[in-house]
Amino acid sequence: MNEELDSQLSAMFDDELPTGECELLARRLSRDAALQSRWGRYAAIGAAMRGDLRLHGSVAVKVNVALAAETTLTQVPVTAAAGGRRTATLWWRGIAGAALAASVAALSILWLQGGYSAGGPGLLVARAPATAATPESYVVPRTAEPRMTVPATELANYVVAHSEFSTPVSRRNLLSALMASEPAAAGTPEQSLGSVDDPNPHADDAH
Amino acid sequence: MSADISDLSLVRRVQGGDKGAFDALVLKYQHKVTKLVMRYVRNPAEAEDIAQEAFIKAYRALPQFRGDSAFYTWLYRIAINTAKNAVVSRDRSPVDYDLDIQNTDESYELQGRMKDAETPEGLVLTDEIRTTVNAAMDALPEDLRTAIVLRELEGLSYEEIAASMDCPVGTVRSRIFRAREAIDRRLREVFEGGLGRTEELG
Repeated sequence: MNEELDSQLSAMFDDELPTGECELLARRLSRDAALQSRWGRYAAIGAAMRGDLRLHGSVAVKVNVALAAETTLTQVPVTAAAGGRRTATLWWRGIAGAALAASVAALSILWLQGGYSAGGPGLLVARAPATAATPESYVVPRTAEPRMTVPATELANYVVAHSEFSTPVSRRNLLSALMASEPAAAGTPEQSLGSVDDPNPHADDAH
Repeated sequence: MSADISDLSLVRRVQGGDKGAFDALVLKYQHKVTKLVMRYVRNPAEAEDIAQEAFIKAYRALPQFRGDSAFYTWLYRIAINTAKNAVVSRDRSPVDYDLDIQNTDESYELQGRMKDAETPEGLVLTDEIRTTVNAAMDALPEDLRTAIVLRELEGLSYEEIAASMDCPVGTVRSRIFRAREAIDRRLREVFEGGLGRTEELG
């Protein structure tokens, strides 16, 4: 790995990289698995120093899986930085890119849970339901919204499929956690957040 | 240096359809958000579920994020609201002490440890990483250790660190990078090829 690039990454992690370099590196970071893995490790090192590190599960993997499964959205209204609205074509245009992103997040966590990982694209996107969901609103709903849960079976399949890249203990950790969380994932409607008055936390930004 | 510029660069990419940039944001903040949520729920698994939900809400709401506040400030609010709602919806008090023993300091500590112990292997691994990071920190030259401590523990900017250490900002950047690399290298040495000691303990 290029040391200057890594040095830039470290500075970017600290919000200390000049804007121009930052934008270029952000583009690379979003696509470069090794760079993203290093980024995740910088975060883990800081968390470990502060005593914040927790590895009971893997939030990044769960978020990635949940988002991969939830939408086939192709057009999203975006409020641009300048304040105008534009239509952006989007999230799931590149299946390969999404698969890479899934693997990056997963492998980063798997590395932390035991041993270095490296691997190819994941299987998650290929397994994502083709019929995803209702037309998307990108406004957080005020009313009933079922609690997002990780598709445990998909995650388990992913772990098994990539088992060659992880140690037995890391597989066991993750699979045990999945099995333990399976009943919760199947959760009851009462467990959802739907009944709760959910004031939009983004009101300040959602003009 | 304007604050939050790196987060904003990633946010703009997500808003432009680059989901990989959101992965980077999650990787950066998952520990902080999970710790934040644990002020409301002590169960680590539940906290991670809530953190996950907060990130998903943030992802969906990102098109409305204009950058008026720092990204983490915005994410912080989402996480806090998600945690509060989760607690209310489950009719729980913010801190769920339910051990049927005397509420001494020891009992609180015991309860925390019991709940944390849901995944013993995860705990062992977490402790191993912490131990390795601390050992790597101890082995750092003084100037590198000071720089990264001022950054990660005290939250100082490079400029503030430079003033504190009486050196140029570029030197601070280099020291922090070299400190991280040294710690990362030590982590890789310890964990490369699997977790031998953890396997035995497990």
